Amino acid sequence: MIEFSHVSASYDGELAVLHDVSFRIEDGSFVAFVGTNGAGKSTTMRLINGLLKPTEGQVLIDGTPTTELKTSELAQRVGFLFQNPDRQICNNTVREEMMFGFKALGQESPEAEVRADEIMAAFGLNPDDDPFLLNRGTRQLLALASIIVLQPPVIVLDEPTTGLDFRECTKVMEIIRRLHERGTTVVMVCHDMEVVADYAESIIVMSRGKVLAQGPTYDLLRDRALTTEASLVAPQMVALSLALVKRHPQLAGTAVGLANTLTEMERALGLEIAEGGEPR
Amino acid sequence: MIEISNFSFTYRESSEPVVRDINLTIPDGAFVGITGAAGSGKSTLTYAMNGIIPHCYPGDFYGSVKVCGLDTVECDLTEISRHVGSVCQDIDSQMVSSIVEDEMLYGLENFGVSHEEIETRVSEALDAIGIADLRDRTIDSLSGGQKQKVALAAIVALRPDVLVLDEPTAELDPASSVAVYELLRRYAREHGTTVVIVEQKIALLSDYADLLVVIESGRIRFADCPENVLEHADELLSIGVNCPRSATLCHDMKAAGLYAGPICRNVEDAVGMAEQALGLASASPESSRTAADAFAMTGAQATADIAERTAEKGGAR
Repeated sequence: MIEFSHVSASYDGELAVLHDVSFRIEDGSFVAFVGTNGAGKSTTMRLINGLLKPTEGQVLIDGTPTTELKTSELAQRVGFLFQNPDRQICNNTVREEMMFGFKALGQESPEAEVRADEIMAAFGLNPDDDPFLLNRGTRQLLALASIIVLQPPVIVLDEPTTGLDFRECTKVMEIIRRLHERGTTVVMVCHDMEVVADYAESIIVMSRGKVLAQGPTYDLLRDRALTTEASLVAPQMVALSLALVKRHPQLAGTAVGLANTLTEMERALGLEIAEGGEPR
Repeated sequence: MIEISNFSFTYRESSEPVVRDINLTIPDGAFVGITGAAGSGKSTLTYAMNGIIPHCYPGDFYGSVKVCGLDTVECDLTEISRHVGSVCQDIDSQMVSSIVEDEMLYGLENFGVSHEEIETRVSEALDAIGIADLRDRTIDSLSGGQKQKVALAAIVALRPDVLVLDEPTAELDPASSVAVYELLRRYAREHGTTVVIVEQKIALLSDYADLLVVIESGRIRFADCPENVLEHADELLSIGVNCPRSATLCHDMKAAGLYAGPICRNVEDAVGMAEQALGLASASPESSRTAADAFAMTGAQATADIAERTAEKGGAR
């Protein structure tokens, strides 16, 4: 479990970028932090992985303050994917990059190599490739793979889809979805509200260094007062549903008035959609 | 006007052309979006428009590219840059100064703009982009989104005829992205500037572009108004380009025979379509926009919102 208790933080010791932030993320959740540039989301991620220490309050990972955990201990509990994979990748081959975490933690073993092989195969990565000659999407996949191979119980992703095209974005997010289904706690910062709505079970809304709300994704994205205060842009189907209810109050509580996803809206508008399909 | 005729380009280290047989005419004042999967040749096409190709990246250049009447092969990069302002995808590679104000001055001084005029240009550009408060900040203290705005302001201050922007909102939140598009559209209309934007955020392009160009494997697959391009939802998906959800909804409704109008470019259009499908009294377009905007955030709202936040926040990270 990740718990923030009255956390304030600053980069220069003067200008506070987080003010009295408290929240709790249960094991096995998939949580997205949303808010504008400068809301404090990335700072929160840096506090979770110990790159930044709070100036006030406590950040607790499984009950232990990050200030009492060694970097290596924290790294085994929390895997961190930087927004820019080039801040992370530092080896000359994909295989070396995959084994780098084990090496840093002194955990090289034949089992580790087998696990790296399996993940490289699953991600479609060639062990002999030079990481710096791969395109941006593949470098992002490699950075993610090199974290997953260490099997941390928590992964923290800072804008995992920035700079990726639609196919790359879907590939990365589906891998993250499968990790979550197998029990990994996923904490993500993401500006793409369609991605947030598609994947995150709950969101934490931040604004001006504070947490405004925490709750189920669609419940909060349908909260007009909240989205206005946090300058959030609702996903298109939520925006459509809310706009229709505003213009035609009799639609409140109907399928149209409650539709959050494309599939739900299409059904509400009379399209026949096969049961059991993935929500879109 | 930008006139690209039979243009193909192969980087010196490549064996295959990255873009090929490109024919594209962009009229003055157009707002053009270029999209496509990673590696499809979008950035290369913009390098041809701002003269980086062939002046910085050597290779085999076929055909011709004319920008504001200048043949980009025959004139030098300085001449081209008097007409074309660019913002790179890798924003850090663009910054040459350590202070925002110096970054703003760099281009103006190099172009020999008079000292009397420089102050006006800098102030106007910083105000237009909504970052007047960042003027004295060091570049390395800015967030990625703030740097993108500084780069944009520095280019706008040069008052180019054409703006070529490679993913200018990649690091911006949705509200700031809408605000940047809104100000670009307003600025372009006021000054008659042509805007060419490479972008993955297809919902923004659908809403703002006059002309949407989709590149696939170095060739132009579609070049038309967004409504017409988005008609090809399945083909777009097959080449790695997603449609906005409102357009996909509309596409599926049309395929099922439940709607017969043009493809929805945005939520506002989708409201009108849904009302038709539900047999609800259709209100005037203006009230439809008001309802949609209430939830999808208009550019005007976003701009006001950003200005307010910037003023309050003083540019915190």
